Amino acid sequence: MRAVRVFLSRLRGLAGKARKDRELAEELASHLQMQIEDNLRRGMTPEQARREALLKSGGLEWAKEECRDRRGLPLLETVLRDLRHAARILRRSPAFTAVAVLLLALGIGANTAIFTLLDQVMLRVLPVKNPQQLVMIWTTGPHLGGNQGSRASSYPMYQDFQQRAQAFSYVFCRYYTALSISLGNESERVTGELVSGNYFQALGVGPAVGRVFWPEEDDRVYKGHPAVVLSHQYWVSRFGADPGVVGRKIFVNSHPMVIVGVSAAGFSGLDPARSPQVRVPIQMKPLMTPGSDQLGNRRNQWIQIFARLRPGYTMGPAQASLQPLLSEILRAEVEESSVRYVPKPMRDRFLARKVRMEPAANGYSDLRQSYSTPLAVLMAMVGLVLLIACFNVASLLIARAAARQKEVAVRLAMGASRGQLVRQLLVESTVVAVAGGAMGLLLSVVMIRGLLGFLPTKGMLLTLRAEPDWRILAFNLALAFLTALLFGLAPAWQTTRVDLWSTLKDAAGAVAGNRSSVRMRKSLVTAQVAFSFLLLAGAGLFVKTLANLKQTNRGFRDIHNLITFQVDPARNGYSLERLKAFYQQVQEKIRSLPGVTSAGYAWIPVLSGREADWDVVVEGRLFKDGENRQAFVNSLSPGYWQTMGLALLDGRDFDGRDEGSRYRVAIVNRAFAERFFPDQSPIGRHIGFDLGPGALPDIEVVGIVENSLNEGPREGVRRQVFLPFGQSNFPYATSFYVRTAGGSGAMHSALRKKVQELDPAMPVYEMKTLEKQLDETLGTERLTATLSAAFGTLATLLAAVGLYGVMALVVVRRTREIGLRMALGARQGAVLWMVMKEALGLLGAGLALGIPCAYWLSRYVSSQLFGVTPTDVPTAVTASVILAAVAAVAGLLPARRASTIDPMQALRHE
Amino acid sequence: MTEKADVWQGTLALMVLKTLETMGPLHGYGIARRIEQTSGRVLSVNYGTLYPALLKLEQEGCISARWGVSDNKRRAKYYSLTPAGRRQLRREAQAWERTTATIARFFLPSAEVS
Repeated sequence: MRAVRVFLSRLRGLAGKARKDRELAEELASHLQMQIEDNLRRGMTPEQARREALLKSGGLEWAKEECRDRRGLPLLETVLRDLRHAARILRRSPAFTAVAVLLLALGIGANTAIFTLLDQVMLRVLPVKNPQQLVMIWTTGPHLGGNQGSRASSYPMYQDFQQRAQAFSYVFCRYYTALSISLGNESERVTGELVSGNYFQALGVGPAVGRVFWPEEDDRVYKGHPAVVLSHQYWVSRFGADPGVVGRKIFVNSHPMVIVGVSAAGFSGLDPARSPQVRVPIQMKPLMTPGSDQLGNRRNQWIQIFARLRPGYTMGPAQASLQPLLSEILRAEVEESSVRYVPKPMRDRFLARKVRMEPAANGYSDLRQSYSTPLAVLMAMVGLVLLIACFNVASLLIARAAARQKEVAVRLAMGASRGQLVRQLLVESTVVAVAGGAMGLLLSVVMIRGLLGFLPTKGMLLTLRAEPDWRILAFNLALAFLTALLFGLAPAWQTTRVDLWSTLKDAAGAVAGNRSSVRMRKSLVTAQVAFSFLLLAGAGLFVKTLANLKQTNRGFRDIHNLITFQVDPARNGYSLERLKAFYQQVQEKIRSLPGVTSAGYAWIPVLSGREADWDVVVEGRLFKDGENRQAFVNSLSPGYWQTMGLALLDGRDFDGRDEGSRYRVAIVNRAFAERFFPDQSPIGRHIGFDLGPGALPDIEVVGIVENSLNEGPREGVRRQVFLPFGQSNFPYATSFYVRTAGGSGAMHSALRKKVQELDPAMPVYEMKTLEKQLDETLGTERLTATLSAAFGTLATLLAAVGLYGVMALVVVRRTREIGLRMALGARQGAVLWMVMKEALGLLGAGLALGIPCAYWLSRYVSSQLFGVTPTDVPTAVTASVILAAVAAVAGLLPARRASTIDPMQALRHE
Repeated sequence: MTEKADVWQGTLALMVLKTLETMGPLHGYGIARRIEQTSGRVLSVNYGTLYPALLKLEQEGCISARWGVSDNKRRAKYYSLTPAGRRQLRREAQAWERTTATIARFFLPSAEVS
């Protein structure tokens, strides 16, 4: 309390300084005068009285100084003085200041940008109550059934955990699904999250208006809770934050439902990167995913389970306490009729499944799984870029230090302490760094907007934002101070280490700096070359990876002329029959469009990372236990292969004959045929799917098609079975594929119009060329390749500037020596080589440092590479050659200047 | 320099407060004089210690200052005790008494501390 009052009074003391000084002087003068008067009264002579008084009272100036220090905030005042001084000095050399600020702005800006993504995808804690108590729960091992998405569990398993697990105050679950929402005549496709009734209570998230779900009200009746909670973001963007939406009726997948409330502002869900627009009670699942119920099915894993630890429980004991419960559940499950037939080894592995648990304080994001390593790699790379930029600024400062030796020597001679001077120089560095940081912050916003373009949206809202918040500001500022120390400390030390006597008397030498400053700059350049090599080699690997992935033989022809879009009529209330007819009508209408050569559709979109795989049975073939009989499936329309540009190797395509409600015919790809029918043609033979006991091979193979990619280039060619869509009994959403003759720009709206002629309320989504689809699927690789190439280029340029600076300095320092050599008959070429040799020496030292480092670091990126080994020799050679070329240019300019020195002038050179 | 003892900072503040309590509003010179007199001229108070101490007390709100005119018609800054200063004085005086009493026990000839 007292300290605060003193501080405030001192802060006030900063103002009206002159007046206070005057008052103090007056007060002290009156004190002195009174003393003199007393002395006079005691009978001293005036002169004596004055001298005594002065002696007795002590140093007048000292007292003033003491009071002054106490009055204001001396540290603050010193800093302010240093800041003013720094500003003056920096204004005096605008070129240096501009270059230094720009270099740092690039470095700090790029770091801030990558950190912003890293922070939002990986580090940030969810804005919910006590997030450190949240955990995610899943199980490992064979599940003997279907699985959707990562870390999924069956709904009955969730119910068992929710009712019987002791270690948690809440166990809750969620599932993402696309939904079609209709208000009036418009319908739009949004992302919905189906949640257990206790979802909001478990997270401690309340409503902004209306109410959220409660376990008692929203999780009791199967299909009986037609309630919707809007996300705050969707409420604002779609409904203009109108509180009147509560109680409003909307149609979700053509089912009437009621908006009961809006969740709290700032809460976007358990995935920090993406946010669903609406939430619906999980009991509504059958209506939200037409044709698929799954609520009571133990053999299908689709929900993600989260839980809140009971106070006093930690991860380890909680996980251990869940394992016996899981084993008990599994022992009961294995007696179910659908899995009782499984052979013993599989049964044992099933019973040995383990509970896994992970802290979920910062939620769970698929994006995090795929981006954590790339972002960490990029963060390291961009850190190196900043380090290189710092070294450049340090090098500039050392050069300036040489020029400022005179000033420093004079100030030291005048009695300034070395500490004071170092502090002053560090304040200068900090001013430069903070200015660079501020500019970098602006740059980073632009950069992040660009970066977000690389991230796949998967039809969901990305919640990542480019605007900096206080965390980013703090990071940025801390980085600025760190860089200031990094590039400022050594030069400051160097600058203040002057030999007073020789500096003051010696006029020359000042320009070129002393030996140790040259040595210091040379080591900085060596480090820059080494770092540049790391970045270039890394960039080379990532660019090669991307190129390899893009050049992988896809099987599909001319994917830039292949437009794809998706429709999902089941979510608009279509029955299976109506849906099949609708697809055929769309296909016919599109085919009639001018500029369209063919069109087809498929259940699973290709090159999108999605897949469905089932185990097969093959006529006349006995599989050994544990033998891989996985096949990747898809359902197709007639004309699909023609549209994709793939040849049928044998047999026929699907056609109008292939209709019905169960699969009777199939086309297999070459990889499938080679594996399961190695010695004969599969045409006319039979296969089947092992979806339950007594699976029979009752599907006739009618065609073989050339291999093509399925999920994407990284996964490669799969064994595939294609089924006629006309015989499917499930109202799948489909992806259409349209082969066009040329440009696709105007075609997009024409296609959309054709669909909407048939049903104006049908949302058409994900419209793009297949090439664009591939780019999106390769988003991670493109992000890494593009950024690492940019960082590598930037680093190389910075290193070149550094190298040039040092070589120019070397030439200036050796002007006399060179002049002498030339006077004694050295040829121009020899001088040129002499300088170049030094430049190449620095390059060699840098490479000698960089190559082993790269070799050692390569292990950390190997998981990110495709078709290239981490220690790829051609990449290293290319990086070295690029650096050598750049170094040659950076060295050649000063070398040429050296070789054209006029010996007469050089010898006169001081 | 002299055989007179310099005052330590902490105790000077206490002396200033006590002086102001006894004497009422007083200027810096008067305070210095009074302290010297009270100490039987054992203590010497100079500018360098007095004025920073006064400033500190003022910043802490223990004393307030106001310009006035001295007995011999000289403009001088008068310091007076504030209520907060009075409280502070009481506290410090008690603490001081406790401390000295404690210390004094150690120097009693027949200490019964064993």
